[in-house]
Amino acid sequence: MPELIVRNLKVHFPSRRGSIFRRVRGAVRAVDGLSFTVRPGETFGLVGESGCGKSTTARAVLGLVRPSAGQVLWDGQRIDGLDETAMKPFRRQLQMIFQDPFASLNPRMTVGRIIAEPMKILGLHAPKTRQLEAMRLMDLVGLNPRFLNRYPHEFSGGQRQRIGVARALAVEPELIFCDEPVSALDVSIQAQVINLLADLKRRLGLSYVFIAHDLSVVRHISDRVGVMYLGRLVEVAGAEALYCEPKHPYTRALLSAVPIPDPVKERRRRRTVLSGEVPSPEREYPGCPFADRCPIAEASCRRRPPQLEGAEHQVACFKAE
Amino acid sequence: MPDPLLNVENLTIHFHTDDGIVRAVEDVSFSVAPGETLGIVGESGSGKSVTNLAVMGLVPQPPGRVVDGKAIFRNRDLLKLSGRELRGIRGRRIAMIFQDPMTSLNPFLTVARQMTEVTRLHLGHSRDEALRHAVAMLDRVGIPAPDRRVFDYPHQLSGGMRQRVMIAMALSCKPDLLIADEPSTALDVTIQAQILELMRKLQEEQGTAIILITHDLGVIAGTCNRVAVMYAGRFVEEAGVDALFARPKHPYTLGLLESIPRLDEERGAELRPIAGQPPHLVDLPPGCPFRPRCRFAVERCANENPPLEGEGEHRKACWVEVKTV
Repeated sequence: MPELIVRNLKVHFPSRRGSIFRRVRGAVRAVDGLSFTVRPGETFGLVGESGCGKSTTARAVLGLVRPSAGQVLWDGQRIDGLDETAMKPFRRQLQMIFQDPFASLNPRMTVGRIIAEPMKILGLHAPKTRQLEAMRLMDLVGLNPRFLNRYPHEFSGGQRQRIGVARALAVEPELIFCDEPVSALDVSIQAQVINLLADLKRRLGLSYVFIAHDLSVVRHISDRVGVMYLGRLVEVAGAEALYCEPKHPYTRALLSAVPIPDPVKERRRRRTVLSGEVPSPEREYPGCPFADRCPIAEASCRRRPPQLEGAEHQVACFKAE
Repeated sequence: MPDPLLNVENLTIHFHTDDGIVRAVEDVSFSVAPGETLGIVGESGSGKSVTNLAVMGLVPQPPGRVVDGKAIFRNRDLLKLSGRELRGIRGRRIAMIFQDPMTSLNPFLTVARQMTEVTRLHLGHSRDEALRHAVAMLDRVGIPAPDRRVFDYPHQLSGGMRQRVMIAMALSCKPDLLIADEPSTALDVTIQAQILELMRKLQEEQGTAIILITHDLGVIAGTCNRVAVMYAGRFVEEAGVDALFARPKHPYTLGLLESIPRLDEERGAELRPIAGQPPHLVDLPPGCPFRPRCRFAVERCANENPPLEGEGEHRKACWVEVKTV
């Protein structure tokens, strides 16, 4: 079964100044040297706050955005920088579910057509069988197949997200990028969709890259988790290890900031409240990008950037034990 | 029990739409004591925002209509006051902050203009006094270089900073009550922690009462003294924060607690979602609005809407005795 390997991925967007000449003055380093592997059947969680580059990473791997540097290997083959024709066969195996259940479905297409569209594009199933397949997929994701000819606006947010899942499954992919699939949903619906994704993973042997800012959700569904900060991975570990023994000061601060629905525990907690703002990917950082907000940073941290080191539990920090 | 600061009784608000009458808030009663934090938990469509907008006189009528109820604040019914009288209270005695600071701050005016407007109106400050006061407030809420940032436009500030500006503005006149509608939901988790910490600190300093509206049970657990849970426009449970989390009595509260993944529990244990969808507020069927999604429902639930009642502080609107497994 195929593995996804990402090596030193960079996505830099040139930032232009001036209204007439629009000169390139610098770059927004959205993704700045990312390396990770997703093993077959694994759920790799990618976690971080806004601007850390997690969504851009997904888009770059899938070729929706052109990487500036680095390699993406799927099943041993390079897929970064391929043109659309060359990329097409890989789209069968690598799919995506998007965050916004309102914006990611074409409002002028029926649900049946939305789910069948990828089959059509990739030439799967005879045209007559596609609608039957769509109905089977609707059933699989918990939607009533009778609603095949309804339009997206006739469904709730949670149901629309299920349509997105059905569409991603239509081509029988191996790996699905889930980009914040439940953030836009009400709390009582989130659990339904999370359970659905976990169930489908078991039944169909899928791998996921699960991108989210909600740490509790990521912990729940992931086997391994990578924490991103300013376009880089600062820590990668098994989900249990990351949450029980976080090694990077940012991971620790992140975990400490997540509120727990238990008032007694909340009162007793010792919090590390980070000072400062979530930083801008337009600035250049000669050393560790987290140094400005880090409670244990020293002068040496600002001189050169730490690399991700370790075997099963990796961390990019000069001061990690 | 000290005299409540705000006493809402039987508040009922309907909206007249093309699809029919939306019963957004149905017979809601609650009170807030001076200095306490009341949390109102609910999902979209629960009525939590409309309830509080009504207290501030901000529900557009039409299409909304306050069909019934009172909101007694300092011996006056806010729902019966004129526009002029309400303007004297808003910002001065009761202040409100909203979820998205980009749409609630005027993008065309500097922070200075927006903040000084408040104290010049309510406290009679001169332009200079108001500006000094604004800079002092910005400093209190942790904005670096406040004497310069006060002249920024909202788009020049980050989300967390804009929210701090909103808090500074809201607390400028030391109001008795602050209504915070999802104040940290749109913010990153580390910034959320900062904002909630800030609100806690300022509440301590100024003795402000807070109504905190959110869907996030973790935030509720960390900040509130008492909690009310809303569903389909009604209060379905009300209790002290410890009691609500330790012994939830309403199936919806229980359902919410069981369905959220938590950092302090076993990884990977299957989540127990609440079945079904949130209700349509037009043409609600008779009986309890939660019944279609409730695993404890009995026959009575389909016919009679349970009232909110209970012994002492812990009240619930449910016919069934829910046992937490």
